[in-house]
Amino acid sequence: MTKRKMFLRMVTSSLLRRRSRMLIALLSIAIGATILAGLVTIYVDVPRQMGAQFRSYGANMLLLPGEEGELNREKLNEALAEIPGDSLVGAAPYRYVRLDMTTRQQSFTAAATDFTQIVKTSPYFSVEGAYPSETRQVLVGKEIAETIGVHNGSTMELTYQPTVVSDGKTPEESRVAGATLSGKAEGFSGGMVYVTAVLDDAAKIASLTVDASTQTPEYGGQIPEAEAYLNQFIGKSLPLAGGDVDTFTGATVTSDAVVAALNQATAISSPAQPRTLNFTVTGILTTGGEEEGYIFMSLEDMELMTGTDHLDVAELSVSASAEQLEEYTAAITEKTGVRARLVKRVARSEAAVLEKLTALVFLVTLVVLLLTLICVSTTMMAVVSERRREIGLRKALGASDGSIRAEFLGEGLFLGLLGGILGAILGFIFAQVVSVNVFGSSITFQPLLVPAAVLVSMIIAAASCLLPIKRAVAIDPAIVLKGE
Amino acid sequence: MSLLELKNVSKIYGELKALDNVSLHVDQGEWVAIMGPSGSGKSTMMNIIGCMDKPTTGEVLLDGVDISKESSKHLTDIRRDKIGLIFQQFHMVNYLTAVENVMVSQYYHSMPDENEALEALGRVGLRERAKHLPSQLSGGEQQRVCVARALINHPELILADEPTGNLDEANENIVLDLFAQLHKEGTTLIVVTHDPEVAEAAQRTIVLEHGRIAREVINENFGK
Ligand SMILES: Nc1ncnc2c1ncn2[C@@H]1O[C@H](COP(=O)(O)OP(=O)(O)OP(=O)(O)O)[C@@H](O)[C@H]1O
Ligand SMILES: [Mg+2]
Repeated sequence: MTKRKMFLRMVTSSLLRRRSRMLIALLSIAIGATILAGLVTIYVDVPRQMGAQFRSYGANMLLLPGEEGELNREKLNEALAEIPGDSLVGAAPYRYVRLDMTTRQQSFTAAATDFTQIVKTSPYFSVEGAYPSETRQVLVGKEIAETIGVHNGSTMELTYQPTVVSDGKTPEESRVAGATLSGKAEGFSGGMVYVTAVLDDAAKIASLTVDASTQTPEYGGQIPEAEAYLNQFIGKSLPLAGGDVDTFTGATVTSDAVVAALNQATAISSPAQPRTLNFTVTGILTTGGEEEGYIFMSLEDMELMTGTDHLDVAELSVSASAEQLEEYTAAITEKTGVRARLVKRVARSEAAVLEKLTALVFLVTLVVLLLTLICVSTTMMAVVSERRREIGLRKALGASDGSIRAEFLGEGLFLGLLGGILGAILGFIFAQVVSVNVFGSSITFQPLLVPAAVLVSMIIAAASCLLPIKRAVAIDPAIVLKGE
Repeated sequence: MSLLELKNVSKIYGELKALDNVSLHVDQGEWVAIMGPSGSGKSTMMNIIGCMDKPTTGEVLLDGVDISKESSKHLTDIRRDKIGLIFQQFHMVNYLTAVENVMVSQYYHSMPDENEALEALGRVGLRERAKHLPSQLSGGEQQRVCVARALINHPELILADEPTGNLDEANENIVLDLFAQLHKEGTTLIVVTHDPEVAEAAQRTIVLEHGRIAREVINENFGK
C-alpha cells in the first residue's frame, strides 16, 4: 500500500465512519453550493429572458393627435422624419374602432396597425399562427378567439356602423341642394319627434322620414306610415309657413312638431353606408395584456371600412439617449403639431437594470459564500477540538505539522467535492424551479456548472479549514501522556 | 553502549520543580522501570525522553544527539525514527480499524504495509481482530494493538507510561511477555509503573521522589 492510498483511506474513513459530525459540514457546503449553482444558473439564463422582457416594452415614444389637426399616415411620416433613420427601431400606428360582428350580434374593438412594425415595437406579442401579410386578414386576441370560438383559418364578417355627425351649420346654412337634414322637436306630452329630410337639386324636400315612436300610437304614432300626409311635404322648400301643409287628423300637436323639427333641421354629413368585410384569421395573439381583447387588422382594410385614414396613436421604439429622445419629441411637437410623448420604459436602460442584477447576484453570492465559510469553519473547529487526543496521538506517533495539515485539508477537500457535486445537482433543480415559477420558462443545463460548483465548494471547504488546521497543528503531543 | 544519557536535567513549572537535577544513564538494550508516587515527575521525564518536551536546564543525549537543544520539527523526526510509545490510556484513532491503527504508525514513519501490520498484530495475538474498530475491542486488546503499533517500526527505544495501569492480570502478563521478547531482540525499554510486579520484570528500577532520583534497585532475579 502506498502512502497516498493510506492517506485517502484515513481521510475517507474519517468522513464515512464519523458520519454525524461530518454530515453537518457536508450539508452546509451542499446547501451553499446549491444556492450558488442555482443563482449562477439563473444569472446566466436570466439576461436572456430579461432581455426579451425588457425589449417587450420596446415602445418608448408615443405620437398622439395634436391640439389642432388629427394624426394620419401623412402626419405620422412627417413626424418620423424628425428621427434619424438608424435610431428608429420601429413605429407602429394604431387606430381603434368598434366593429360589429353581426352574425353574433356582438361588437369588438378592432385595432388597425402595421404588422411589419408591431414585430419591432412589441416583440413580446406571441402569435400562434402568423401575422397577417395581406389585406382581409386578421389577428385575433386570445380572449376574443375563446369567446367567439375562432381559430386559424376561420373567417369572420365585420361591419363598420358609421355614426351620424352634425356638421355644426345653422338651419338656414343647411338648406342647400343635396343636403341631408336632421331635426327634432317636442311633440305630444313632451315626447320627441325626429325628422330626416333629403333635399333635391333645387334644395326642395325630396324625401322625408319621421320617427314618432314617442307619440300616441293611434294618433301621432301613425304619421311615419301616413303616405298622403308625408307626400304633402315633397317639393316644398324650407322653412315651411303656417298653411303650407295640412295637419294630420287627430294629431295636431305631433303635426306641429314635424313642421317645427323640419324648420330647425340642420345638415348632417352624408353618412357612409355600413360597410362589411370578410376576414380570414391568420393567427391568435397572446400577450398577457389587454391586447388579447382586440382584433388586429391592416390600416388599409380599416380605411376601406371607415373611409378615413385617421390614427389614434403611434408607438415608437427609438434607440437613443435620454437627451436625444427629449430633442426628438420637442422637434416633432414643434414642427408637425403632432403631440410626441416619452413613455417610461420599464427598463429605461436595460444595461442599468442588468448591472444592478449583477451586483445583487454578486452580493448574494458573497453572503452565501461567507455563511458557508463560517458554518463549515465552525464545524471543523468543533471537529478539531473533538479530535484533540487523536491529533496529539498522531503527532506523538511522528506526524509532522505538514501531515496534520494535509490530513485536515484532505478531509475538507473531500467534503467540498461531495458537497459540490450534490450542490450542482440540487442547484440545477433549484434554478429550474425558480425559473419555471418566476420566469415561466425552463432552463438549459449547463454542464460546466458541475466542475465550477465543485471547484468553488472545494475552495470554500479548504478556506474553512485554515483556522481549524492552525488549531490542530498547535496541539501538543504531550497531552496523550497526560490522563486527559 | 549508551543509548540515553540525562545530565543534570531539570524541568521547572513556575515554582514547581517537576524534575530536579536528574542524571540517568541507560544502555542500549536495557530494560528499565521507573517508579514513584504520583506527581513525582515520571511522565515529565518520559515526555522529555520521548522528544515531546524539553528540559528547562540540563542535557539529554539520545544516541549521541543532544535532544534538549533540537527544534521541535527535528524532535518529531527523532521520535518517529527512534521511539515507540505506549500509553496508559490506550490511545487509538477511533475511526480506524486495528490494522489501520498500526499502519498509521508506518505511514508517518515510512511506508504503510498491511501484511507487516497484520504480522505485528499476530505477534500480540490479535490477527483475527485486525478489522475491528477500537470500540469493538476490549481494553486489554486495545493496549496490545498499541504495543503492536509501538514495535512496528522497530524502534531503538520503547517508552511505556503505565502500560498495564488499566489491564487485568492476564493482559498484564501478555504485555510483559511481549516486553520480554522485545528485550531479547535488543530493544531498549523504559517502563513507568506503579506496579511492583511490572517493575520486577525489568533489569533495574529507578525510583523518583519529588523530581529527584531517590534510589535505584537492580533486579537480581532478572531472567530467572
Ligand atoms: N504543564 C505543566 N504545568 C505545570 N505543572 C505541571 C505540568 N505538567 C506536569 N506538572 C506538574 O509536575 C509534576 C510532575 O508531573 P508528572 O505528570 O510528571 O507526574 P507523574 O509522576 O507522572 O504522576 P502520575 O503517577 O500521577 O502520573 C506534577 O506536580 C504536575 O502537577
Ligand atoms: Mg504520569
